[in-house]
Amino acid sequence: MTLTLLLLIPFLGALGLSLWPRTLCEVVARRTAIVLLIIQLLLSLRVIFLFDSTDGGMQLQEGLYWLSSLGLDYRLGIDGLSLPLVLINAVLTLVAAIVSRSISQRPRLYFCLLLVISGAVNGAFLSQNLLLFFLFYELELIPLWLLISVWGGSNRAYAATKFLIFTAVSGMLILGAFLGLAFATGSVDFSLTPVTTLQLSMGGQILLLSALLIGFGIKVPLFPFHTWLPDAHTEASTPVSVLLAGVLLKLGTYGILRFGMGLFPEAWSVLAPGLAIWAAISVLYGSLAAIAQVDMKRMVAYSSVGHMGYVLLAAAAATPVSLLGSVFQMVSHGLISALLFMLVGVVYKATGTRNLDVLRGLLNPERGLPLTGSLMILGVMASAGLPGMAGFISEFLLFRGSIEKFPIATLLSMVGSALTAVYFLLLVNRAFFGRLAVTPVDPNSGPLDIRIPASTLVEQLPSLMLAGSVVFIGLWPTSLASITESATNSMAQLMSTLSIVLPIGVTP
Amino acid sequence: MTSAKITLSQPLVSAAELQRRLLAGQTLLADTPDHLLEVVGVLESYGEVLDAYSINLIYQAERQFLNPFPVFRFFDGDINPAKIWRHLNHDRINFEYAEYCQKAMFWHATGGLDAYLDSSSFLESCKAIIEKKRRNDPLLSLLHPLFPGFLLELIRSAATTHALGQFWRVMSDLFLDLARAQRQGQVSNIEQVVEFIKHGLVAAAANLITYAVEIHGHKLWVLPPEAGLSFLADVAVPYVEAVFLRGMPFLGTVSFNAQAQQISPDQASFTYGALYADPLPTMGAGIPPSLLMQDMYRHLPESLHSWYLQRTRGEADVRVKICTSFQKSMFCVTEAAIRGTLPNSLQTKELSQQQANADYAGAWAGRLAKGRTDCLAAV
Amino acid sequence: MPTALPLPLQTVWLIPVYGFAGMVLSLPWATGWIKRNGPRPAAYLNLLITLVAVVHGSIVIGEVLELGPQHLSFGWFQVADLDLRIGFDLSLINLAALELVTFMSFICQVFALGYLDKEWALARFYGLVGFFEGAMSGVVLSSNLFMSYFLLEMLTLSTYLLVGFWYAQPLVITAARDAFLTKRVGDVLLLMGVVCLSAWAGSMEFTDLYAWSAQHKLAPLTSNLLGLALIAGPMGKCAQFPMHLWLDEAMEGPNPASILRNSVVVTCGALVLIKLMPLLQQAPLATTVLLSVGAVSAIGGALVAIAQVDLKRACSYLTTSYLGLVFIAIALQQPAIAILMLLAHGLAKALLFMSVGSVIATTNCQDITELGGMASRMPATTLAFLVGSAGLVGFLPLGCYWCYGIIVESIKATSPLMAAVFIITNFLTALNLTRLFRSVFMGKSMPKTRRTPEVNWLMALPMVSLSVIVVLLPWIMALLDPIPGINSFSLPVAALVFSSGLIGLVSGSLLHLDSFWSRSRTQSLRVLQDLLALDFYTPDIYRSTIVAFVAGLARLANWFDQAVVNGFVNGIGRLSLITAEGLRQGVSGQLQSYVLTLIVAIILLLTVVQFWYS
Repeated sequence: MTLTLLLLIPFLGALGLSLWPRTLCEVVARRTAIVLLIIQLLLSLRVIFLFDSTDGGMQLQEGLYWLSSLGLDYRLGIDGLSLPLVLINAVLTLVAAIVSRSISQRPRLYFCLLLVISGAVNGAFLSQNLLLFFLFYELELIPLWLLISVWGGSNRAYAATKFLIFTAVSGMLILGAFLGLAFATGSVDFSLTPVTTLQLSMGGQILLLSALLIGFGIKVPLFPFHTWLPDAHTEASTPVSVLLAGVLLKLGTYGILRFGMGLFPEAWSVLAPGLAIWAAISVLYGSLAAIAQVDMKRMVAYSSVGHMGYVLLAAAAATPVSLLGSVFQMVSHGLISALLFMLVGVVYKATGTRNLDVLRGLLNPERGLPLTGSLMILGVMASAGLPGMAGFISEFLLFRGSIEKFPIATLLSMVGSALTAVYFLLLVNRAFFGRLAVTPVDPNSGPLDIRIPASTLVEQLPSLMLAGSVVFIGLWPTSLASITESATNSMAQLMSTLSIVLPIGVTP
Repeated sequence: MTSAKITLSQPLVSAAELQRRLLAGQTLLADTPDHLLEVVGVLESYGEVLDAYSINLIYQAERQFLNPFPVFRFFDGDINPAKIWRHLNHDRINFEYAEYCQKAMFWHATGGLDAYLDSSSFLESCKAIIEKKRRNDPLLSLLHPLFPGFLLELIRSAATTHALGQFWRVMSDLFLDLARAQRQGQVSNIEQVVEFIKHGLVAAAANLITYAVEIHGHKLWVLPPEAGLSFLADVAVPYVEAVFLRGMPFLGTVSFNAQAQQISPDQASFTYGALYADPLPTMGAGIPPSLLMQDMYRHLPESLHSWYLQRTRGEADVRVKICTSFQKSMFCVTEAAIRGTLPNSLQTKELSQQQANADYAGAWAGRLAKGRTDCLAAV
Repeated sequence: MPTALPLPLQTVWLIPVYGFAGMVLSLPWATGWIKRNGPRPAAYLNLLITLVAVVHGSIVIGEVLELGPQHLSFGWFQVADLDLRIGFDLSLINLAALELVTFMSFICQVFALGYLDKEWALARFYGLVGFFEGAMSGVVLSSNLFMSYFLLEMLTLSTYLLVGFWYAQPLVITAARDAFLTKRVGDVLLLMGVVCLSAWAGSMEFTDLYAWSAQHKLAPLTSNLLGLALIAGPMGKCAQFPMHLWLDEAMEGPNPASILRNSVVVTCGALVLIKLMPLLQQAPLATTVLLSVGAVSAIGGALVAIAQVDLKRACSYLTTSYLGLVFIAIALQQPAIAILMLLAHGLAKALLFMSVGSVIATTNCQDITELGGMASRMPATTLAFLVGSAGLVGFLPLGCYWCYGIIVESIKATSPLMAAVFIITNFLTALNLTRLFRSVFMGKSMPKTRRTPEVNWLMALPMVSLSVIVVLLPWIMALLDPIPGINSFSLPVAALVFSSGLIGLVSGSLLHLDSFWSRSRTQSLRVLQDLLALDFYTPDIYRSTIVAFVAGLARLANWFDQAVVNGFVNGIGRLSLITAEGLRQGVSGQLQSYVLTLIVAIILLLTVVQFWYS
């Protein structure tokens, strides 16, 4: 029941909130949501204790037959790949709820949607049935679309629509692939069993895999399907950005690993070299585009394009170390990008701008945002892969696991890691170093007094916690590896037994 | 290179306007109740800090004279475990700032005191002191012939230290008196503040600055009364020049890189002093006046403290606000000094005297106009 | 691991931890949580804990002298075929380097107490120095490549933060950025090498790597590329041409940090290179590059130093120059001599920088054209400069004289050209230091040096103590007893080293100083002057090549993103039935109806599917 509870708590919570007969003020709605999410987090932590880390397969399976004629069964399970993501979801939704302050319009709906997203994401990560996964995958889309289009910035309609269209296409492709799989293999099983050439020709496999890859590639997002992301982030409010970058993008990479690789291991190994190159291009493209941004949030958004590309590289290589690295990267990108978006949010709230041509000297100890600045330095250094923080060990595992299979793509991705330092250093040096100033964009608007409201320590607690966990994983990676390793090992095992061995790369 | 623009809440005041106010006998600082509270309050805490500074500088010059390892130089001779603990915990006045001002004054080397430090009579007394000192000190007797300027320079430095201590003694008493006078209702606007300070300065103007050290039971003059060094002309004026106006570049805001040439080779054109400094980076890295702001923060009168708490970030940026208030009060003190040193009375009817006044005020106004005059207007 | 190891040895991992702990201990003051009291307790705590590190290190040396070298290894992260460990190689040389690091850190912290006495951000400074010290202690003790890389990168971070200490100062902003990025480029190249080695060789222990590289023959191209990647990290750390760009700007940082950087940080970089050298056996190209980079840095650095008017920069380019010589020694397989050179250089250069710091603290000036005539008034500073210079030049029988002697002796037959580089660099260094000494300490007093009392005791005492150590260094070097002894070179070599120093000294004394400040009227000379004063236009070259390239690519990517990718999407959107405009109208309307619509859509879809199958 534990896994079902992980769905029930947010869904029933959302239902309860929305059906509560009396009007709810923002504070009550927020507190209710926070309490529910804390329960969800505690429950997710309980799963760790129930979880057997030596078992690489699905655990805690539960389910009931639902629409079996459709192949849609309610079947949940968890393994070392989904557990960290469920945890990240619990942590970051809670953080998002905590940092959702002064929701002036429709607070009740806002927190309902937040809960629905969290539940749907849990559902997607726990689903053992393709159609069930798809249901949850689509379910998460609507609330997010609403969160952007109602509580977003000035250009929110455009961004939300773009998000909706892209994700709808993504959903269609995924559904198409799932249905096509059922159609081609003639079974309406929709369970997570790898397809072999005995059932489906290589051409058919590659076709379906490509549909899945593009579908999930939109969600990740990978170049050239990423263009919805920067817009969605710039228009979304801070908590929504936290969720989007920290949790929802992971659905894409999770889908690639679980379904792309898991269902089509043979086709996967045929496409792998191309995927590695695709990953490298995505990494470099995202990083280079990030350098040119002057909006802090867009910069962080493009960095996501780059950093999520690493996961594809690792998945393409599909060695035990690289797959573990991909999970590490998902977790650390979740934590780090959530941290960065929150800090950017603090700056935006205090100064009214995110423009790097305008912000200066925010490290000023008395009138600036020194704690935000210090955490920002920590965050960007973690993102740039400085040792001692989560980003480094993730990247090291990724590169170490991929270099033998795809040396060129890996080396190019490492250049992307160097470029991360370039743009994030520009961010910190421009906005936080120097004399404190928020120079008006319009030079004719006259002298401007620098009055930035202080951000209290309490407001920064979620950021501090995230920063702490980034350092914790960086210094003690075994904590995460111990729950994931068996699963990634067995995935790699599957790949090496089922895949056609393609000798590529320099080996000594 | 990125350069942040200084954004101002109030416009700067032109030199012509400053000169007009000086000649019209108007206060530079707008006369408002808030300003009165700020100026008197900040000067009161400054007075208390200066009291500690002054006592310590005089102690250092007299008791730590030529001590190679002045480990306990901030203890004023009172060394006990409780005080050692407070010093280790940095629960103390930042005497380093007093030394910083002394260094600024000594390094800029202007005025009568500095001129005396190069006179032959000063060199004579130094010779006598060094003779006495070397007798029981093998290290000094070795070093002195090799580095003949070494002890001489240290004695000069000690003389400046002592003179600054005496100057601050007067100023401390004056500022504390001002606060008392305000509480007793004798001072109720900025004009009276300026006049009060001017009277204090004029009254002390002719005080003699003297300094003697005791070596092996012998009292030896460093700055003898015969040198005729006076409070206002020989110490106060160089002090204002060195600390209020010129100052020394802050490592936290100015590059020392020789190729960048951000620092003028001519010290006379320095504008790093208290009247020019940007209050915003206070408490940041490389901003020495932060020490003074911290000291004043710890001695803030309650009325001013609660006034600060109601403004901007309250306690969080209180030291920036102290710095702004301090700048306001320093404009008042500078104005008092200008009034006290005007060549002629402002009421004079004689044209040449008026011209002399106008020239004098104009020279000052020209320098002040480059300062942070945005703090002068009423908010 | 034998169980009988004494406690100080077992707990040797604490030594790097001390430094990091110092950082953590500084936090309450550095973050401003403690508001009423000043930041000094953080400084005292760091001093104390560094002293503990020094003492612990010396106890370990005592134990190792008794028990012989030890190797300690702890598991850190073990997954699949990857085993990342924390390893300490307790050899005498590593421990000597450790003592150098911790001792220099201690002495620098004392110096900083005086130099930064009016610095309110003192706690942050000490915290960063603690971090710095922790990382360096780890690097010198590290017995595996992964840990070395891990800590080198932390050094990069702390360099960035230390250079950026005065973050509000405009030039610091670019300086910190360049320091980080240049080193980062080197680090990422090194990471490429580390990742490859980790994948190919498995274990990251240096000894295992040596064995692996001796057994496995890589393709020549691969091994050369690997070699180049491995040397890139140390090259960046040691500010070797062409990765020395950051060095000039890094001088914007506080002087005590410059002392550490110029003495021990470069030593750490070079020590890592020494540990990497056996891996470069199969990479002749890497060795050649090391040699040429070393030679160019040695002579180029010394020439650029001569053309500087900034006191700090004139001395810091000497570091590049000297480390170039160390690189040559390492490339020529003379690690023992290289280590002696590092020791001699580290102490003497620290002393020189302390003297420079006290000049700056006294005069508020780094421009040697505005300095002069301070010698008679500042005995400790003057002596420190003299002793430091003497320790850096092969002239008086101090550290570098013996180093130059043995290195020239041992390479003169095999690579006379490189021996000549040593002699020429010695000449140029002597000339430069003489020039600096004359313009800062001799001559007439200038306006900014008219009133220059000796610095306070917290700065003077470290200078005097270190001067004594530098003078005694030859004796310490003899104690370390390298085979075949520090004086094992022939009379002609001794004469050569001595006379190159002497000629440098004499020409430095005869130089007409004024001619250095003014640009020459002779066209060719002026071009040369500018070329050197502006560091071979390195910043401009970088700006117009790599920076322009990356910036151009970034602009291109951004343009492509906006015009092509986004434009394409928007075009499709305009064509599609559901336009953005249409939806925008709806959003402000009934939200619930949209939720309903979408849910209905999904249910419809499922029904269709079911219909299709049934």
